Amino acid sequence: MLEIEKLSYVYPDGHNAIREIDLKINEGESVALVGANGAGKSSLFKLIIGISDIKEGSIKIGGLPVEKKTLKEIRKKVGMVFQNPDDQLFMTKVYDDIAFGPRNELLSDEEVEERVTGALEVLGITHLRDRMPHRLSGGEKRVIAIASVLSMKPEIILFDEPTSFLDPKARRNVINTLDKLKMTKIIATHDMDMALEICDRVIIMNQGSVFADGPVEKLLLDEELLLQCSLELPLCMQKLEKLERIKIEQNRQSLFSNQI
Amino acid sequence: MANISDSMSTINSLEEMADGKTIIHQFHPMVKLVITLLYIVLVVSFDPYNITGLVFFAFYPVIMMALAEIPYKPLLTRLLVALPFAFFAGVSNIIFDRDLLFLIGTVPVTTGVISFFSIMIKTVFTVMAVLILIATTSLPQISYQLLSIKVPKLIVEQIMLTYRYISVLMQEVSNMYTAYMLRSPGAKGIKMKDMGIFVGQLLLKSFDRAENIYFAMKCRGYDGHYVYAKPDPMKSADWLFLLLTAGLLLLMRFFNLSQFIGSFL
Repeated sequence: MLEIEKLSYVYPDGHNAIREIDLKINEGESVALVGANGAGKSSLFKLIIGISDIKEGSIKIGGLPVEKKTLKEIRKKVGMVFQNPDDQLFMTKVYDDIAFGPRNELLSDEEVEERVTGALEVLGITHLRDRMPHRLSGGEKRVIAIASVLSMKPEIILFDEPTSFLDPKARRNVINTLDKLKMTKIIATHDMDMALEICDRVIIMNQGSVFADGPVEKLLLDEELLLQCSLELPLCMQKLEKLERIKIEQNRQSLFSNQI
Repeated sequence: MANISDSMSTINSLEEMADGKTIIHQFHPMVKLVITLLYIVLVVSFDPYNITGLVFFAFYPVIMMALAEIPYKPLLTRLLVALPFAFFAGVSNIIFDRDLLFLIGTVPVTTGVISFFSIMIKTVFTVMAVLILIATTSLPQISYQLLSIKVPKLIVEQIMLTYRYISVLMQEVSNMYTAYMLRSPGAKGIKMKDMGIFVGQLLLKSFDRAENIYFAMKCRGYDGHYVYAKPDPMKSADWLFLLLTAGLLLLMRFFNLSQFIGSFL
């Protein structure tokens, strides 16, 4: 379980990125973290994983507070998939990249092999095992970045914009991949359709604080609320709305011509 | 634009070769490292005026490249990068070392000319040996062996990380250069007046990228110790290859083969 209490964060340049956040995320939940650019999603992730130091408030993961001396434990419990897979993949072979985390845990060769094979099989990418990451497509890189975190068997995974810059097929593949994962997921995204499809709960952030928190079906269909946070309805809903408008217009016109 | 992406693919292509399955690739990394080091020491130790003895050492790169199935082109391209340095180092010998050795027709051959060629040949041989090592052994494997022969960990970590960051830096240069060229029609390169900003921006951007990569590594448990590829123990075939090759190299260095072959003629 992830508990955040009265968390605030100010960057050294004075920018107030996070303001008094209180949150509780239960085990196995799939949460979408949405908000305009600069709303504080990435800053929150950096605090959860301990890249930025917490100065005000607290974050606890499974009862363990995030602080300098617990970082090693925390990073075993929480994994993060970066927005740009090139930042995450840097070994010469896919296998070595996925093995990087388990090797750092000083596991035996057999255990490392087991973890890597497990991650590759879960995501259905065993054929990429001996390829070089920089030769792969954007979508493949993204899935391998997920595998490289999965092999560490984290309890919680943070995803930073997992579907950005992908073609429709690769995006679909990533969405299906995320849907398969059963651990706690927190997905920072602008892809409202994905959030609607695979998340149970959505947290809307605005200017560093939590603006709304609730079930996806309720919040993501509330156009007024979304507009207040510089967001909009999921595209599928916009399409439905448009279709309805067209239907109403057609009905009106046929009624009008019948009258004439 | 082409130059940068070309050099990137050259770096990568050599690295990709390290995944080969030939007999040379299968030898233990330690064997290849020791032989390469021995080869370099022996080549460098030759007297600057002894070219005839040195020429025999051409066998090593030629045979290794054939056995490891390394194509000549990418290797020679990278070799060319090293040659200008050796050329300028050697040219001063021609100017200052002017004792006459013999004449070819009317052209005088001085000791300086001989030592110039000796420097060039030594450079070609030693650089080739290192390139062959890189093309047949992956960098994590080489690093592990460097550690096991007591090269300080700090230096090995630096080599590993620098090597990793080169591609990141090159990618950044390539993107910025492309963006620059597309908005400066007719320009042959980056203008001197823009160079300061270009390099400054590159530095800042590479800091950012380096920091992101570092964070990503930290998130996966990296605590300042790179984990290297630990190979299997050495087999008898590895020992045999090591002893044979080392023996041959030592023979070529300390036994005057050219005189020996000449005595049969």
